[in-house]
Amino acid sequence: MSDDQLDERLREAARSYNAPPETPREAMWARIQAAGQRDRGAAGQRFARVRPLRRQWTRWAVAAAAILALGIGIGRVSVGPETAAWEGPSANTTTYRLAAQEHLSQSEAFLTLFRTSLEERTDHRLASASARQLLATNRLLLDSPAAVEPATRLLLEDLELVLAEIAQLSPRSKEQDLQLIRDGMERGNVMPRLRTAVPAGSAPTQGVL
Amino acid sequence: MSHIQVVDPYAPEPVSDAELIDRVLAGDPSAERALYDAHVDRVFRLVYRMAGDLDRAQDWVQETFIRAFQKLGEFRGESALSTWLCSIAISVSLNGLRKVKRFREREVALDDAVPVGFTPREADPDLKIRLARAIDDLPDGYRAVFVMHDVEGFTHEEIGRTLGVQPGTSKAQLFRARAKLRTALADFVRDRDR
Repeated sequence: MSDDQLDERLREAARSYNAPPETPREAMWARIQAAGQRDRGAAGQRFARVRPLRRQWTRWAVAAAAILALGIGIGRVSVGPETAAWEGPSANTTTYRLAAQEHLSQSEAFLTLFRTSLEERTDHRLASASARQLLATNRLLLDSPAAVEPATRLLLEDLELVLAEIAQLSPRSKEQDLQLIRDGMERGNVMPRLRTAVPAGSAPTQGVL
Repeated sequence: MSHIQVVDPYAPEPVSDAELIDRVLAGDPSAERALYDAHVDRVFRLVYRMAGDLDRAQDWVQETFIRAFQKLGEFRGESALSTWLCSIAISVSLNGLRKVKRFREREVALDDAVPVGFTPREADPDLKIRLARAIDDLPDGYRAVFVMHDVEGFTHEEIGRTLGVQPGTSKAQLFRARAKLRTALADFVRDRDR
C-alpha cells in the first residue's frame, strides 16, 4: 500500500475518530447561564465582563520594546561610540536587521548544542525551555520589518517549525520525535542557511542555555 | 434540476455577528443565547473530537463560552467570531488535556503493576480502533492540527488563525502527524498487505 493510499484510508477512518453525539445545547446553556448568574451576583453584572485592555497595542508595544532593546544592545556592542550617535533614515531597519542577526546567531548556537545533546541522549527539558524563548523572539521577528526580505522570512518560518518541535519535547518523548526534528533540520537545510545568514565572526551577545 | 427556494416570510432576519456582539455588550440576554446557538455546534464538535468524552466536552464547551462572554469586549473583529471562539476552545481543550494527562500519569504510577503472566495484546486489529489509539498518542499540537484539518475540515489558513501560527506551520504539523500515524500503523498495513 502506497503512502497516498494509506493517507486516503487514514482520512476515511479518521472521520469516525471521537465522533460527536448531538450537541447537548440546553444542558450546556443551563450551566453557562448558572455561571453567568454567579458572576452577576459577585460582580454586579452579567459574566463580570473584562474591560478591554487594548491588548493588541500593549502586545505590540512590548514586542517593539523587546526588539528595540535587543537592537540597541547589539548596536552598543557592535558599533563604535561616534557612529552609534548617528540616527539616519535607515536606523530603524538596521535595528531590526541586527536584532534578526542576533536571533539567528543565538538559534544557530542553540541548534548546534541541541544536535550534540541528541547524540548524548540527555534530558531535553532545558532545551525545550530555551526553544520556547527563541520561538517567542522568532514570532516577533516574523511580524516585524526584519521579515520583509523573502530569504530571511523563509528562514524564520523554517526555524519556527524546528523550534516548535523542540519546545514540545518532554521526558516522555520518543526516539521517533527526535528523528522527526533531525529530519526537519536536514530537509530544510536549516543549519547551513543559518550559518550563511549569520555574518562570520559574530557571536551571540546573550546566552541561550 | 434546480429547486425553488422556499422562504418563510415570518422567519427572523439573520443577524450578523457584529450586531450580536454589540447587543451582548449592551447586556441583551437574548443576544447571548443567539450567539451561543449560532456557534455552539461547531465548537462542540471540535471540543468533543479533542476530549473524546461527553462530560469533559460539556465542561470545556461551557468554559469556552463563559470565557468568550467575559472577554467579548476584547474581540477586535480581526478574525471571524467563529475562529476566535475555536481558538478559545482549543486553548481550553489543550489545558484540559494536560490536566487529564497529569492525572492519568499519577494513576498509572500508583497502579502500574501488570499481573504476572498477563501479556497485553491488540484485542481488535480494526484500522479505526488502531488509528484512534494512534491519534490519541500524538503530541497535543499535532493532534489539534490533525483533528481540525483531516477530521473537521478546517483549512490551513483557519487553523493558522485559530492556533496563532503560520499556515505553513499548520501544513508541516499535519505532514508530521500523518508521518507519525503511518509509522504507528506500519505493522497493521504490512499484515493487511500480506
